[in-house]
Amino acid sequence: MAGPISDADFATPSYLQAFRSVSSISKIDEGYSEDTRSQSGSDLVLRMDTRLGDGEDVGMDTHYPLPEWVLNMSESDRSEFAYAILRSLRTSSIAGIVEKLNPLLHLDPVLHLPPEITFHIFSYLSPETLLRASTLSKAWRARVMDSPLWRLLFRLEGWNSDFAQVRAFEEAERVRRANLKEKKTRPRTTEDTDSDKPSTKKRHCQKPSLLERTETDSSVRARMEPMSLDGSSDGPPNWAEQHHAVEADEGPSKADDAMEGVTYVSEPTGGVPLSPLESIRRKKTTTEIDEDVAATTPVISDALDPPVRPTLFLPSSTEPKINWQYLYKQKRRLEENWDMGRYTNFQLPHPDHPEERHTECVYTIQYSGKYLVSGSRDKTIRIWDLDTQRLVHPPLQEHTGSVLCLQFDERPEEDILITAGSDCRVILWQFSTGKLIKKIDQAHSESVLNLRFDDRYLVTCSKDKTIKVWNRKELWPTDDAYPSSTTRSKAQFPPYIINMQHITETSHLHFKPLQPYSLLMTMEGHGAAVNAIQIYDGQIVSASGDRNVKVWDVRTGVCLMTFPGHTKGIACVQFDGRRIVSGSSDETVRIFDRATGAEVACLQGHTNLVRTVQAQFGDLPGNEDELEAEARAVDRRFFEAKIKGLVPENLTRDRRRVRNAGSRDPRSILAYGAKLPPGGGGSKWARIVSGSYDETIIIWKKNADGIWEKSKVLYQNEAVRAAGGGRRRVPQNRNQGGVALQPNGTAATNFQALAHQAQAQAQAAHNLAQQASLLHAAAQTAQGQAGQHTNAGPTTQTGAPATMTGNPVNPIPPLGQQAPQVQQQPPQPPIPAAGAAAPVPQGLTPGQAAAAAAAAAGPHHHHHHHHHAHHLNQLNHPPTNSRVFKLQFDARRIICCSQDPTIVGWDFANGDRDIIVASRFFGESG
Amino acid sequence: MASTDQQPKSQQKLILTTSDDHDIEVDRDVAERSILIKNLLDDFGPDAEIDKIPIPNVNEAVMKKVIEWCTHHRGDPPASQDDDTDNRKKSTDIDEWDQKFMQVDQEMLFEIILAANYLDIKALLDVGCKTVANMIKGKSPEEIRKTFNIQNDFTPEEEDQIRRENEWAEDR
Repeated sequence: MAGPISDADFATPSYLQAFRSVSSISKIDEGYSEDTRSQSGSDLVLRMDTRLGDGEDVGMDTHYPLPEWVLNMSESDRSEFAYAILRSLRTSSIAGIVEKLNPLLHLDPVLHLPPEITFHIFSYLSPETLLRASTLSKAWRARVMDSPLWRLLFRLEGWNSDFAQVRAFEEAERVRRANLKEKKTRPRTTEDTDSDKPSTKKRHCQKPSLLERTETDSSVRARMEPMSLDGSSDGPPNWAEQHHAVEADEGPSKADDAMEGVTYVSEPTGGVPLSPLESIRRKKTTTEIDEDVAATTPVISDALDPPVRPTLFLPSSTEPKINWQYLYKQKRRLEENWDMGRYTNFQLPHPDHPEERHTECVYTIQYSGKYLVSGSRDKTIRIWDLDTQRLVHPPLQEHTGSVLCLQFDERPEEDILITAGSDCRVILWQFSTGKLIKKIDQAHSESVLNLRFDDRYLVTCSKDKTIKVWNRKELWPTDDAYPSSTTRSKAQFPPYIINMQHITETSHLHFKPLQPYSLLMTMEGHGAAVNAIQIYDGQIVSASGDRNVKVWDVRTGVCLMTFPGHTKGIACVQFDGRRIVSGSSDETVRIFDRATGAEVACLQGHTNLVRTVQAQFGDLPGNEDELEAEARAVDRRFFEAKIKGLVPENLTRDRRRVRNAGSRDPRSILAYGAKLPPGGGGSKWARIVSGSYDETIIIWKKNADGIWEKSKVLYQNEAVRAAGGGRRRVPQNRNQGGVALQPNGTAATNFQALAHQAQAQAQAAHNLAQQASLLHAAAQTAQGQAGQHTNAGPTTQTGAPATMTGNPVNPIPPLGQQAPQVQQQPPQPPIPAAGAAAPVPQGLTPGQAAAAAAAAAGPHHHHHHHHHAHHLNQLNHPPTNSRVFKLQFDARRIICCSQDPTIVGWDFANGDRDIIVASRFFGESG
Repeated sequence: MASTDQQPKSQQKLILTTSDDHDIEVDRDVAERSILIKNLLDDFGPDAEIDKIPIPNVNEAVMKKVIEWCTHHRGDPPASQDDDTDNRKKSTDIDEWDQKFMQVDQEMLFEIILAANYLDIKALLDVGCKTVANMIKGKSPEEIRKTFNIQNDFTPEEEDQIRRENEWAEDR
């Protein structure tokens, strides 16, 4: 074998030999980028040498060259020999040697493994562990604060992100930087340094005078080492000496004014800079680089690399890249705001433009990114810019009745808005211009209660108990999307639909395509109004006043499955392919397993009809198997418990009434064999938001045991007050009443509790008293009755959120001697029932519930409302208009519409600039 | 067709020459746990007479360990090429035999990881990386530093700054 020092250096790249050969190499030029996974021999040598450099203080070969005869011994002989020598030493000497050997036995993986492998290792660790690891050393920190790693972690949380937005944003920034460079604007010298020397390979040339330019140096360095970009750098160890010099005059206080990429100030495209408050209000969804970003983007100069606080763009001078560690952090902070109930409120219309509001209650909304579209009882549709809170077009007016449902897709390739309502019409609009494209008169024989479309089909459902499917694009009988009738199908096909099974090859010639928006089929099967509908992956899910959810095949019209379970009519439904989430007049939200029909959760908490629901489970792609395995495990424990006699054999009537909100306790299990575990599965970030005629919105989260619980209760009317910026809204032609007063046991109990709570608060202090009165007002109005303190004035803005962070308050009047009186008023039916009008809000028949769910827009509805309002006004109790009709949430906001013509939202960014900036990259929801 | 086709592929022998110039004989199916070697053999086609494959980045000691692992796992289904494992929450569970196999000194551990990476044996790379991840998990920074002999080059102020910055991730 060759002597270690002579030729081992390059000839033998193996770990051990390179190790032995250390001392011969003085210093390897590290201006070398190992950017691929392939390792050449010399690559390895480089790494080994780094390591050996560390081991130098062991001083093995440096201080004491071994004689030839020792080196010629075999490994085992040499080992025995060394042991013999060691045994001849005193214990203290041995201890000293062990100490010296320690670095050989304990090796720093970050120094000895390339970045792609530490990436792999880190991908097994939790964010918490990784952040702890970032405190170990500068080299560790550089490897841990790696943007692709955090992008992976982000995905592993089950969070959505908008990659198109990320790319567009990076591109916009790249262009902006390029323009800037061209203009040769030189706001700061540091920037020149930065843009002139983009190459990591020049690191060694960059030795600015530390004393004069410490700040420059560190920030340049920050930009010079895009290690987190492509994982190609070995971290900053060879800058270590400079770090110490830099630290000397760098206080944290400098961070704020070290606006290095402040090139934003001279933003070429920029408009008028926004005040911080304005920027907070506006959500930026476009790709323009705006002030919000400017505030967070500048590379904060500090001694650490990467900088202590992550910034939106990676501090690299080459290509602008979004920093996923920043996004991950802001997402977590945003989630915390949700959990803690920290939010700001906003409203449509803008408080300064009340004239833009709907004039009557708003039945439906949808929003996406920048736009929100609303449909109202005032027969109009309004398209709002969420950034400005202003109308984009004048109201769209073609409907002759209430607008009950709508869906839009603003993407240029679709550019469509479809609306429908109680005039039985379906109307198509060009989204961008508000121009009418097409009207389908008499689409149904009664009110169209809901509609959904995907790229192939439009599906509508109606009070007439039917579901209809329409094609969105020209359709040939040979197309996949063309209906195919089967004997199992009870669907009605129009005569022009050809049954392809009966057609011979030759008759091909006669085929004509179906024009877009032709009726393809009508599905019958529900026994009452069909209130809500979803289409997903070729399946239609419908919810009806007949208490059933049904799943249909969109091509054949076959009803694939019926889900009983709700005890009253169903108002709303959501379907994600695996789970059906529905809200009902039985005041519950239930989750059903699509595959087996099992009810996997029942969420109880509302005190009136659940009119609208959205769920976000946060699945990881391809986790079906895991969910099923979880479900199997729960089943197994259930049967084990059953064998042991721990589960009562016969369900008593009482027990049957007890529902399960996700518990895995065998005694709580009500169904087995499901493909979903109790609760429906999903990540710990899963969230359900439901809105009800009890005038509240409940945010549901799973607790540590996987049981769905109320996380927060939001009050529509509080939000209106808080969003108005202290302005009193001017009620005009309000659609009043429709208030379900529900005298029942729970109410009474809560009533007492609330009264106590309110009194206690009132006694606390002056400002607390004010809060308490607000609470009263909220609770009172929430219940739809007198609010003595409704006029809480400007304090509401701060008061309302403060109240919300406390214990959730049930919407029951705290102080209302009047309450019983009011409740004794003969309550009008909240909503005209389908045909029959039994004036008892509780115990609606399914049919009535159906109609209620449909929020009935019939003319006599109006009449009742006036009637009702009259009663209340007589009692000098301004009514509230807070029944929630429709809500939607995304990563950052909940927006809802209600009886109140004002659309309100809760923004959980809570005014935080970083969260606002990051939010635009988060997906539609979750 | 070459005469080698007469005997089952698995019984064909290959010789791997390690970086320190040792020859190791190994069954072909064992060697083909390495995608690098498998692709190499595939590229040459069935007719090629390959007697020695140089493995210039792995020395004998490490190669023997790697072959030990490949032999034990010779019957495992071939590694799937799709990267959808990246979409799953990753478990650091390691089966018992692999755990024992990985009870080696850190130098050998890292060498096995590097060799698995070079030879493209994904399952072995996974086990190696999980082993290192498990050495980090659940430890205080000081314990991790000891485990890997990491020199803390932060000033106390810097360390404090970083710790404060990381507070957002702390469990509430």
